[in-house]
Amino acid sequence: MAGRTPRSAPSAATPAPDPAATGSSGRAGADPGPGPAGGTGRTAADRARERRSRRYRRDLRWSPYAFIAPFFLFFAAFGLFPLLYTGWAALHRVELTAPTDMEWAGLRNFTRLLGDDFFWNALGNTFVIGVISTVPQLLMALGIAHLLNYRLRGSTFFRVALLTPYATSVAAATLVFVLLFGRDYGLVNWLLSTVGIDGPDWENGSWSAKLAVSTIVIWRWTGYNALIYLAAMQAIPHDLYESAALDGASRWQQFRYVTVPSLRPTILFTCVVSTIGAMQLFGEPLLFSGSAGATGGADHQYQTLGLYLYEQGWVNLHLGRASAIAWTMFLILLVIAAVNALIARRLRSDD
Amino acid sequence: MTARRAGRQLHGGKVTYAVLILFTAGSLFPLLWTAVAASRNNTRLAQTPPPFWFGGNLLKNLGTAWTDANMGTALLNTTVVATTVAAGTVIFSTVAGFAFAKLRFRAKRLLLLLVIGTMMVPPQLGVVPLFMTIAELEWTDHLQAVILPTLVSAFGVFFMRQYLLQALPTELIEAARTDGANSWRVVWHIVFPAARPAMAVLGLLTFVQAWNDFFWPIIALTQNGSPTVQVALTGLGRGFIPDQSVIMAGALLGTLPLLVAFVLFGKQIVGGIMQGAVKG
Amino acid sequence: MRTTIRGTRHRAVALLAAAALGAVLLGGCAEDSEHPGAAGSPGADAGKTTLTVGVFGVFGYKQAGLYDAYMKLHPDIRIKETSIERNENYYPQLLTHLSTGSGLADIQAVEVNNIAEVTATQAGKLVDLSKAPGVRKDDFIPWKWAQATDKNGKTVGLGTDIGPMAVCYRKDLFAKAGLPTDRDAVAALWAGDWGKYLDVGEHYRAKAPAGTAFVDSASGVYNAVISSSAERYYDRGGKLVYKDSPSVRQAWDAAMRAATGKLTARLQQFQKSWDQAFANGRFATVSCPPWMLGYIKEKSGDQGRDVWDVAAAPKPGNWGGSFLAVPEAGRHKSEAAKLAAWLTAPEQQAKLFTKQASFPSARAAYGLPAVAGAKHPYFGDAPIGKIFAAAAEGIPNQVLGPKDLTVNQNITDVGVLQVDQQGKTPEQGWRAAVESIDNALDQ
Repeated sequence: MAGRTPRSAPSAATPAPDPAATGSSGRAGADPGPGPAGGTGRTAADRARERRSRRYRRDLRWSPYAFIAPFFLFFAAFGLFPLLYTGWAALHRVELTAPTDMEWAGLRNFTRLLGDDFFWNALGNTFVIGVISTVPQLLMALGIAHLLNYRLRGSTFFRVALLTPYATSVAAATLVFVLLFGRDYGLVNWLLSTVGIDGPDWENGSWSAKLAVSTIVIWRWTGYNALIYLAAMQAIPHDLYESAALDGASRWQQFRYVTVPSLRPTILFTCVVSTIGAMQLFGEPLLFSGSAGATGGADHQYQTLGLYLYEQGWVNLHLGRASAIAWTMFLILLVIAAVNALIARRLRSDD
Repeated sequence: MTARRAGRQLHGGKVTYAVLILFTAGSLFPLLWTAVAASRNNTRLAQTPPPFWFGGNLLKNLGTAWTDANMGTALLNTTVVATTVAAGTVIFSTVAGFAFAKLRFRAKRLLLLLVIGTMMVPPQLGVVPLFMTIAELEWTDHLQAVILPTLVSAFGVFFMRQYLLQALPTELIEAARTDGANSWRVVWHIVFPAARPAMAVLGLLTFVQAWNDFFWPIIALTQNGSPTVQVALTGLGRGFIPDQSVIMAGALLGTLPLLVAFVLFGKQIVGGIMQGAVKG
Repeated sequence: MRTTIRGTRHRAVALLAAAALGAVLLGGCAEDSEHPGAAGSPGADAGKTTLTVGVFGVFGYKQAGLYDAYMKLHPDIRIKETSIERNENYYPQLLTHLSTGSGLADIQAVEVNNIAEVTATQAGKLVDLSKAPGVRKDDFIPWKWAQATDKNGKTVGLGTDIGPMAVCYRKDLFAKAGLPTDRDAVAALWAGDWGKYLDVGEHYRAKAPAGTAFVDSASGVYNAVISSSAERYYDRGGKLVYKDSPSVRQAWDAAMRAATGKLTARLQQFQKSWDQAFANGRFATVSCPPWMLGYIKEKSGDQGRDVWDVAAAPKPGNWGGSFLAVPEAGRHKSEAAKLAAWLTAPEQQAKLFTKQASFPSARAAYGLPAVAGAKHPYFGDAPIGKIFAAAAEGIPNQVLGPKDLTVNQNITDVGVLQVDQQGKTPEQGWRAAVESIDNALDQ
């Protein structure tokens, strides 16, 4: 790149002039008639430079929109209508048996949630399962990524193996876990019995069921998050570690003071995504109940918001109510995201 | 175990291997058990304790699953879907993530919030209106019904943005600009190389997700039209009693191509591609 | 640096190539849609009409060779079946497809628990099959026919099978508990009254072999009792009356007696643990419609052969059964109606019973030797044709309502389960069930 430096000087200078002025002079340059300002010697090179700078500015101004356009175009085509429809449906009484047949209900679908015990129960479950699955999952993922970042024999094997839970279909995975956590014949209770503990009825206990569902979540997503952390770790410049090592930092100190701070955007990312995932948790609790539908246990002890939404929409066929739950989840997430952003800003300003 | 060299050049110690092997075993167990279940028969699976080692029915059950679920067509369809979706997501997410991470433009914060916001819409609900759209377009039973709605992902955009914030030094872009490179050249020569590890990971994750996606395809496609693997598998176990071992064999068949792809290309996508991280 | 850039270019080119490849493939698919070669369209085989049949679980038409037989009779027809394993996934999909008129098979199956809702809300989107050629109303059991007929007399579904109930019991466990083992003697123990059935259960418990229970689950008891009642959740005027319905009270009390009296193995039906308990012989009785015989045989395996037997239930009842409907949006409505009529005709239903133990809803089939003389070798050559036909004749004319499934599921999966598995009191269980149902029914 060094060989090109001479050419860079003029183009580096171009952004400096006032945009409005150059804009008008550019137009003037294209005009054949008047060109008084320019002397004789400057014209050709100047015009070329101006054209280049105009193109440059146009590029600078519009390319960001071009870059984000595909996402928003596809979103407008396939995401916007569902979003708006859902919002509209939430204000109506509408059943899955006739999704276009709507009866205005105002905010009733939302206000009734305040007095809906099942909603509050699901919200509480979602929160508890979210915390006991997300926290250990992300901590373990960070640790595993750190280990994978060492030079290892068979590193590809480890990476692939740790991602297999993510690649296994939820149905197959949950079936295995249902067997593991079985009351009468499960492996977990059998292991507990060998050390003299009378294992719980996992599915029917309030905490044991949440713990079992969280285990499935942790199992499925830890390797996934580890891989994301690993990718980010690979981009940390080596000299940071080298200078840390020169300063006599131990491995742990390097991890604590170099790796973790460098990963901050990625950690924030996984926190946001995991929060969203926890909020929408659905497949694992649905399948954990075997064929028993979307109640989330006899006492709804592991019915999450996602599952409650599913039960209202796809089992009870109340599209309007389900839409209201979906939008409420959406709003709760927005609040969480706002709080998150505030904390992140506070942290940043502390630096 | 001398800490002479820094970062990932450090060799892992015994503890490292021990911990990794433990986690690996935990990760692999359910998959292995799926294979064990697929190698038995219905009766044996219902017994206690369940089998922990392979029986002799693996090939028979795989064969049944293959023919019953029309797996040949399904695998081909799923490959098309997952490849297209992964390629689209990676490219669109990288450029959009770059714009959000490093470029200045009007309404950026708002648009980014919109991107993050779309991640928060619970997917179970969008299905009904989305199906109305697809039906209106007469795409029911055609692969574009599952490809186009998932071709971009808010998750991907956000992921690439967070990654590029950290991994792409702004000076590098400025230097290229100084050299007279326009935005497309910057993307080509600076952003793509810097984003490679994340692109590889995003591609992998998107591919897996598209491969295993179930909720939407089962509404949009039927087993007779152009089924994906997951759609085809819903029809398995059509013996008089849902035959668990055949269902497990189907699940295994559906997962195996992914694993084979991981193993074959894992080095390239996850490992090899990471060599070229930018040094600033 | 330069090498990196060149390497990048290669990879970027590869990426673009992959994207282009995707686009080409995509184009290929798009092109496909202009030459519809997919489901339910002519032209796959020149001049042939392809009929699609959408079912959930197993209907057995393919296994019993009925499709092949029909295609032999009608060389211009090809039949393809799609099956979704579980009705919970199948039914919402069917509703979504019906509401948009898209993605439907030419024939769609409907489960008995959904038929009242489909008849009430989707009749306009389904073909009136009473007028289809080859359909004879008198062939069917009158209540089965009535269940799929709306108030204007339009019949939107033809009955496939029904589920007349018996009780399957283990002779070995009965013998150990000092109970008779002969199927007529067993049936006589509880004839006419589910209360007597529970009395037998208490006898059993007194001398029960270690680790076994009399019945699999309290919800099984509830289902059995409610299935033998004429009025359940709705009265004949179509009003939802489950809270005050005497038959619901009776079924609930029976289930509670089983649960609190420790007569059950505290299981939930169709779960993994239920299958395992079959394999390990952990309970002595289970209510069984014909379609469950195969399930028991499969899950109990070889050690259950000649151990299980079938006795008449205290009262005849119906559990399960389905219908075939033809959507108006289909491309081959008249051919589809003809096929549906043929598949549900008595001869074919009898054949299906022989092959799959799906009990005919066509009364005309009961006299056919394939049904009347049927015995089941796994169940000690029990004369199942005779037992189930007798049960079928005694099934009361059940009053169905659109939300039967919701009410029933919440009573069994919330109310009964809380008492049976979580040790709550019957009052707590009932209150929880009512709360769940009220919430589920409130639009």
